[in-house]
Amino acid sequence: MAVSLSQVMGPGWCSLVGRLTSDLQCARTLLNPKKMLTPQSLIPVRTKKRHFIPPSVSAKHKSFSEQESMAKAAGVVVRQQYLERAINITCTAGILDPYVPPEGDSRLSSLSKDGLKQRAEQFKQSAASQLALRKVKEHDKEFSTKDFPAKAQEIFIQAHHNLTNFNKENLHTLVTERCYPEMVRGNRFKTLRWQFLESLEPPRVVHVRCPEMINKGNVYGQITVRMHSKQTLAIYDRFGRLMYGSEDLPKDVLEYVVFERHLVSPYSRWRMHGKIVPAWAPPKDPIIKTIMIPGPVMKPWEEFEEMNLSKAKPQQVQWNK
Amino acid sequence: FFRLLPSCSFLHKSSIHTSHSLETKSWERKNRIVYPPQLPGDPPRQAEIYHCRRQIKYSKDKMWYLAKLIRGMTIDQAIAQLEFNNKKGAKIIKEVLLEAQDIAVRNHNVEYKSNLYIAESFSGKGQYLKRIRYHGRGMFGIMDKVYCHYFVKLVEGVPPKEIQKTAFDQAKEYVQSLRDRTIIHSL
Repeated sequence: MAVSLSQVMGPGWCSLVGRLTSDLQCARTLLNPKKMLTPQSLIPVRTKKRHFIPPSVSAKHKSFSEQESMAKAAGVVVRQQYLERAINITCTAGILDPYVPPEGDSRLSSLSKDGLKQRAEQFKQSAASQLALRKVKEHDKEFSTKDFPAKAQEIFIQAHHNLTNFNKENLHTLVTERCYPEMVRGNRFKTLRWQFLESLEPPRVVHVRCPEMINKGNVYGQITVRMHSKQTLAIYDRFGRLMYGSEDLPKDVLEYVVFERHLVSPYSRWRMHGKIVPAWAPPKDPIIKTIMIPGPVMKPWEEFEEMNLSKAKPQQVQWNK
Repeated sequence: FFRLLPSCSFLHKSSIHTSHSLETKSWERKNRIVYPPQLPGDPPRQAEIYHCRRQIKYSKDKMWYLAKLIRGMTIDQAIAQLEFNNKKGAKIIKEVLLEAQDIAVRNHNVEYKSNLYIAESFSGKGQYLKRIRYHGRGMFGIMDKVYCHYFVKLVEGVPPKEIQKTAFDQAKEYVQSLRDRTIIHSL
């Protein structure tokens, strides 16, 4: 239907257009029906939440401090980052105040009554051990010096059996974290065969200490047990060739094994912590293969026979394994 | 503990942290098999050490010539030959052999470092990089930047002697095979 706009809008519209015909652009905007119809009181406001605000194009060129200040001005709050990590310390790093075994310990067999009495007296005399024992009994009421050595020997045997079977989980329950790498290092591709034949003397508690770590009340108990026993050890390398020891020949072994427990924690257990090797211990058997020790660096005019080289003797010092 | 038994390959989780692609390559895994202890009557088992180097910037075909050269030689002889060889790969293979010798003595309980011989040595193709080679008239070719791997297996002991087969031996075998023929369904 050919109806003109003037007839639809009414007579007032014509006068409006008539006033502004001089400015063409203005006329065009006013003629836009949308703008004519929307009243000025309704102003559009954006309230929809934007989940992703893309980073601005010039963000790469700004330094970190500028970016930070921009972010703060915009209202972005960065929560404080705690660069912390909780560590559980379940064992001490070493043997505190190690026991110094007397010289003639292995020679004087405690089959004789004198030897036994001497040793029993020695233990009772050490005052520090007594204090420490009292502290241990405070935390663990069922502890006694009479049945602990038997348990300790059991733990010792079980730990070595788990080492031969490479049972990591059981080994961790029987041996502290400090002792574990010492036992296990280098044995990954080797076969170990170990047998505990018999105990020549009943094991005895020889030394007790209660060191503390970091805080004052964080008490660990360390007990040294003397074991004299017959054992066989054979180590085979990756190809099944014998590296050390022999399976048939048993050896008498006198050991001072340290057991540790985190007394304050109720879930802790007595675990093997280390061994004390005395200064007068006899040297171990050498390994089966021959090793080349590199000689001194020589100049072309020097001769090997003329150089006076002295073989360095190993120092006989007590050390903790 | 990450160790393979010789008959079945049952893998445990590794206790040392290394990148997954390095430790799971089959040549490196061959160093992890553990044999059971030998009985005292058995002849001693020869120690085998597997070593390799990956992504060497050299052609695998050129490397093959050097690998073929040292097959079956004692390790000292091989190192001597490579030292006076003018190829680029010779220097690299010599380094690999010295590394392998050191590893054998330290980790695998080899007694004498000269008592090793090269049982297997070969080269393989590595991952190539592709580049554009510009030709005339707007044509182009894809240029491969060539890389190779080198693998070596050292065995402890004296190298086995290769029996040289003469023409007379081959002729004898042929005649024998003719004599061994049986005629079936005959009268």
